[in-house]
Amino acid sequence: MRRSHLLGLGFMTPAILLTLALFIIPVVLTGVFSFTNMSTSTGITGGAYEINPRSIRLMKDAGLREGLIGDLEENLYKIDAAGLAQVEKDFGKKLAEEMKGAYDGQTFKDRRELVRAIKDLKSRPRSSRDLNKAADLFQKSILNVRYDDESAFLNGLGNLGITLQDGEQAELTRFAYTGWVWTTENFSNMAAMPSTYRAAFNTVLYIAFTLTFNIVFGVFLAVATFYLPSAAASTFRTIWFLPRILPHVLYVILWKWFTWDTGFLSQVLEPFGVAPRNWMMDTEINAWVSIVLINGFVGASLGMILFSSAIKAIPSSMLYASEVDGASRLQQVRYIILPQLRWPIMFTSIYQTLSLLTSFDYIYLATDGGPGSSTTVWALYAFKTALNNYGGNLQYGFGAALALVLVGIGILASVLYLRLFDFKSMNAAPRIEQ
Amino acid sequence: MTKNFKTLPVYILLSVLSLPLVIMYAYLVIDTFTVTTPGSLVPGPFTLHNWRFLWEPAKPGQASIWAATLNTFLFAGGTMLIVLMTSATAGYALSRLRMPMRSFMLAGLIMLHAFPTVTLIISVFLILQIIGLYDTLIGVILVRAALDLPLGVWIMKGFYDNVPWEIEMAGVQDGASRFTVWWRLILPQIQPGLAALGIFSFLQAWSEFILPQVLAPGANAQVLSVYMQAVVKSETQMDFTLFKTIGLFYTLPVVVIYLIFNKKLMNIYGGGTKG
Repeated sequence: MRRSHLLGLGFMTPAILLTLALFIIPVVLTGVFSFTNMSTSTGITGGAYEINPRSIRLMKDAGLREGLIGDLEENLYKIDAAGLAQVEKDFGKKLAEEMKGAYDGQTFKDRRELVRAIKDLKSRPRSSRDLNKAADLFQKSILNVRYDDESAFLNGLGNLGITLQDGEQAELTRFAYTGWVWTTENFSNMAAMPSTYRAAFNTVLYIAFTLTFNIVFGVFLAVATFYLPSAAASTFRTIWFLPRILPHVLYVILWKWFTWDTGFLSQVLEPFGVAPRNWMMDTEINAWVSIVLINGFVGASLGMILFSSAIKAIPSSMLYASEVDGASRLQQVRYIILPQLRWPIMFTSIYQTLSLLTSFDYIYLATDGGPGSSTTVWALYAFKTALNNYGGNLQYGFGAALALVLVGIGILASVLYLRLFDFKSMNAAPRIEQ
Repeated sequence: MTKNFKTLPVYILLSVLSLPLVIMYAYLVIDTFTVTTPGSLVPGPFTLHNWRFLWEPAKPGQASIWAATLNTFLFAGGTMLIVLMTSATAGYALSRLRMPMRSFMLAGLIMLHAFPTVTLIISVFLILQIIGLYDTLIGVILVRAALDLPLGVWIMKGFYDNVPWEIEMAGVQDGASRFTVWWRLILPQIQPGLAALGIFSFLQAWSEFILPQVLAPGANAQVLSVYMQAVVKSETQMDFTLFKTIGLFYTLPVVVIYLIFNKKLMNIYGGGTKG
């Protein structure tokens, strides 16, 4: 390998490492995670074995043998060393030794059975209250006991005298496992849930409206500022560019102040007899207009910059000539400026479609997908499912499956984007050999 | 343009359309320095009362804003440094050095440039949890830097492409190594590019909200955007004056930097950023 190869690869290393760790691996892992049922309750790393009310419910739903579920749910009474030591402390050595002789290692199905057995002994406690108390010392349950691995779990079952029939072992350990497992349920759930279709519909609506607004308004701003003297033009451009660099949190707060029921619009309209109301969240339509405007005001500035520089590239002699020939301003825009903008408009459309498809922070801050879920777009839906669920259980696996759809579209669109570039000229070979 | 066309209608139309934004900006500044009375848009007398969060907690139980400010500086500064170092080297390699798989890397760069990175946030969240960088500034700095990287390399490559080959050939002819040539001759040539990219990535990180909110929400790594959102969320009544004052404090560096470096930045924003 030549020295410049080594130097080149050395220069690339930091970028490659960072890209690998935070682009390539996340893309692959999004795919991996989407085939798991990871959530807050399963944890991310390994799991343990435990029978708890939730797994009991799942077993009942799955139709496991009722006797077995009963055994798991019931408290059992097993005579063991720990219990005997406690009896010795509370009721004296005599009873403990007698019990050890008669019943050591035995399991009783319920307390009544054990109490009856104790009653057969000579040194039994007198009152029935004491009998119950003595019996309770042997109470055992597999419920909510965590075992680190499968064999410990099966041992625990055996110690309690819970017997398994053929083929039940595998099923039981599957239900008792608290960690995540591989599954394709995320995708079947996705296809079955109406909220998925609502989110998809919202996304299409959101992109269509916002993109149209961005392009039309971006063209308008670029053309309008083009006809103004440069000082005025740069003032207006600054006004329209600021939303892009203002922190998102503040920008959305300004919109909320503008539209809130104690905010600007309500106060201005009050003297005209319009009752104050929350103009942003009042109805679904209001919420939609708000998020399109909030995103559109930011998005239009990108169009404004790109289109402005494209218009500047038009030879001014062309514009002068058209004026001499008597073209009106509209004709000038229609026949000279707009044709020049065809390429930048296409570029901006593809670029913004992709970023609108996946960006959700303005919607999250402004309407939080509401009212109801009327403005929940796909990206926000995935985000809320996996990372921002007030219900408590964050479904990482399902969220990853939702994100995988966007990742897939993203990859396809970036390939398209690559085709649009003049790749040959970019790829020109370096001129120094060494 | 020319005198043949009236500009007045354009002025009127643009002004009317810009009115909402101008009102927002104006009241952002006015409200923070005056006594605001509910139900009135006329500013009251001057006061600094709204700025009291600078010397006492904004809400009982809230941390001081200065810790969040320091974190934001570390976050934005750290991101800027990593982006600059990796882009300056990778951009040079892609522009000037021969190496295996060069065109593959270039194609990958363009694809990453367009790729919607925010979709990866769920798996990045899980990865940071697994490797133990969750809720740390380092973790969120690395993620933010990685997201800026394709744009950064792209822009730096553009700047390197415009440096004449003759400078480099002269250096090599005089016996300098390629590394020395890069460090002593080429880097000084692309200083404007480094400055613009540095400012750009600093501003992006300074305003970033979703990444720190998801990846580092804890008190130790809280940045200003997360801090501000926490104040907003903890309010039952929308105290817009408080929000605006915190917001103005938060955004002041951004606006100042923008106004100073306006021209330099336009190149990068025009070069196709997300949005």
